[in-house]
Amino acid sequence: MATTAVHTPVKSHSNIFSTKAAGGRMPLTPSPRGRNSPNASPFTPPARRRHHDPSWHADPPRKANLFGDSSSRSGGSLTAAFASLNVSGSTKSRSSRVAPSPKSNIARSAASPLRLDLGVSDWALTGSGMTVGQTPVKRKTRSGTGKTTIRINGDRFIPTRGASSPTASSKIEHPTSRPGSGHGRSNSVLSGGVFGNDDNDSTNPSSGDDTSELYQRPNTDSREYESSIAAACGVNLTTRILAFKPSAPESSKPIDLRSQYNRPLKPAASAAQFRRRILTAPERVLDAPGLVDDYYLNLLDWSSNNQVAIGLERHVYVWNADTGNVNALCETSPDTYVTSVKWSGDGAYVALGLDSGDVQIWDVEDQTKLRTMSGHQSRVGVMSWNKAILSTGSRSGNIFNHDVRIAEHKTAELLSHSSEVCGLEWRSDGAQLASGGNDNLVNIWDARSIQTPKWTKTNHKAAVKALAWCPWQLNLLATGGGNYDRCIHFWNSTTGARVNSIDTGSQVTSLKWSTNYRELVSCHGMPDNQLNIWSYPNLVRNVEIPAHETRILHSALSPDGQTLATCASDENLKFWKLFEKRPGSAGTAREGSSITGKGNKMAKQMTIR
Amino acid sequence: MPPAEKTKKSKAAGKLGDKDKVHKLSLKGSSKLVAEFFEYSINTILFQRGVYPAEDFTAVKKYGLNMLISADDQVKAYIRKIMSQLNKWMLGGKISKLVVVITSKDTGENLERWQFDVQLQGKAAKAKAPPPKTEKEIQEEIQSLFRQITASVTFLPMLDGRCTFNVLVYADGDAEVPMEWGDSDAREIVGGEKVTLRSWGTSSHKVDTLVSYRLAD
Repeated sequence: MATTAVHTPVKSHSNIFSTKAAGGRMPLTPSPRGRNSPNASPFTPPARRRHHDPSWHADPPRKANLFGDSSSRSGGSLTAAFASLNVSGSTKSRSSRVAPSPKSNIARSAASPLRLDLGVSDWALTGSGMTVGQTPVKRKTRSGTGKTTIRINGDRFIPTRGASSPTASSKIEHPTSRPGSGHGRSNSVLSGGVFGNDDNDSTNPSSGDDTSELYQRPNTDSREYESSIAAACGVNLTTRILAFKPSAPESSKPIDLRSQYNRPLKPAASAAQFRRRILTAPERVLDAPGLVDDYYLNLLDWSSNNQVAIGLERHVYVWNADTGNVNALCETSPDTYVTSVKWSGDGAYVALGLDSGDVQIWDVEDQTKLRTMSGHQSRVGVMSWNKAILSTGSRSGNIFNHDVRIAEHKTAELLSHSSEVCGLEWRSDGAQLASGGNDNLVNIWDARSIQTPKWTKTNHKAAVKALAWCPWQLNLLATGGGNYDRCIHFWNSTTGARVNSIDTGSQVTSLKWSTNYRELVSCHGMPDNQLNIWSYPNLVRNVEIPAHETRILHSALSPDGQTLATCASDENLKFWKLFEKRPGSAGTAREGSSITGKGNKMAKQMTIR
Repeated sequence: MPPAEKTKKSKAAGKLGDKDKVHKLSLKGSSKLVAEFFEYSINTILFQRGVYPAEDFTAVKKYGLNMLISADDQVKAYIRKIMSQLNKWMLGGKISKLVVVITSKDTGENLERWQFDVQLQGKAAKAKAPPPKTEKEIQEEIQSLFRQITASVTFLPMLDGRCTFNVLVYADGDAEVPMEWGDSDAREIVGGEKVTLRSWGTSSHKVDTLVSYRLAD
């Protein structure tokens, strides 16, 4: 309180008097009621500041005397004094004031007990700098310029004021700036006028001074200003609102209460609510006798014409998923066997990789061999079509691109792998080719510069057979490692960054993305021989299906994206309806389901010589 | 109480046994109780309103409830700092309100404001001399308030986006203010809805709880 008291005295008088608005407000603020009352206008604090008139500074001696007596020093400030006069002690204070010179009166009032109340910090701030010395000067300046309106009002009203003042002050809340209206309008004005009269007879504040002071106020002490505002907003002056200033620690992650309150007891179960129901029993089981139990081969493929080709040792069978008919497509020469099977994109041809290193292309409808492409010195374990380009990977680690339309079919050699290539997959747009080998490498090749791999990834610790490009995000590649690795890594093929990983705990033999859901299915070998369906990108395992007795060697997704075919070394070919379309949703993915195909009519899209 | 009365009472207690044992909390004890209540309140609000993730909280038995308090070291330290000062103020009777303001980190807007009004009931209480509450009664009052706070998530609007919080106190003008505390505005919710929750009190303090929040647009 002491501090406040010091500031106030000087300002209050001069300012109040000088500006009309200020005058009206001022009385309010100074009076204890006004301060306390929530109603007080936000303006009040500035008004207080105004009080510091430079002119007052001249008076220091007087003030010193007056205030000096009180512990508060200047804190009581003129305004405070006035206030006190108005509200509680109105009669007394006035009388006292009136008698001597205006300034001296003011000072006395400050000394009065009321002043103590005023002592609030707000006041102190405004008044503080200027108050002590200023008074005498003020008079002079004021008398010259500002007195006119306010004083006049004050003079007129003075008599009334005594009676009205206390109530008036409380009402005063909004000080209007109208100078003229003063008397009729609000008590506050009146009171202000009154004060002015009392104090000022000689002293009116000059308007000019006031304005200059006004500018200064905001600058002087923002904190004080705030507190004064707070006070004006009805906060009790005797209390301070304090905030613990250090900011609270950051939350470790964003929180959604919706999920929090839906939170099941176990986090794993949370996905269950949103988990769709997945059939865990095979829709159909076929025998695949004589299937070569070799992890590095790729003997199963499902065409866009809804036909499943499977290589069983020296034989290739085509099972028509529409009709359920099985045809034996061909039988290789006795000195070799089929090591890979791949349908062309249009579903009209099937490419066969052989243990001898030859690649044969068969027309399925005619059941005739169209051509044989030689080149590889060792078995061709994996192939991938990109339109008319057939890429083949061999045991030597070489990958060749063959253009099946031309006689000199070999168009490129992709030499990077040092061990058998067992995974090979063109991106759907044909811009990139991913390859995985027994040397634990994943290579991503750019079709435009095929000489060296764009990216070589060494994260896997075992052979990489499982490769799959994401159908909805072209540059996302999933790769799965073998028995010593058991991880699925997700790559951004544009930047080469690994974006996600799953440790599946089991050998990954193949991966397929769903075309209907944001999911992918992984087929596993040792130790669990299961199918896993993962949500992407949250990598939650939606379901685990114990699918086969032994390791799942190959898998193929139906053209409608609903059914997965798997074959395992237990010589079973099983069909799983893993990605059944929701009843409501239109069949967007592909035409032709396993039941109602688009017919057997094949549209041959390229000519093979 | 005059000593004479005390002795009487102890006799009476002896007769009746512990059945209706009445604890008269000293002002100091009551202040501690209120301060402790504040600590649990802050933690409860942080948990219930999702200012920090649920996994940062651990459950402790308090007021006959499972109260969740933050287990995050930083948050714990932050609250501890607040509480250490709050305890001093409470003992000195310098505080009339404690306010927890939840603010949006993105917009800086005040979204929710929990206000706890503390009234010292010294004189009034003596004059009226209400029957002193037993410890159990006080605990039940606090318990039902916390139940209410917990239940309030059902009507409070969702807090979207990241939020943070601030603690304000309304302190007496003559309270000692350490460096870490500074003047602030009231951080009221402009045009907010206000809901008054239950009150509780000891013989020396009365605590009223009020939550104000911004109505959803």
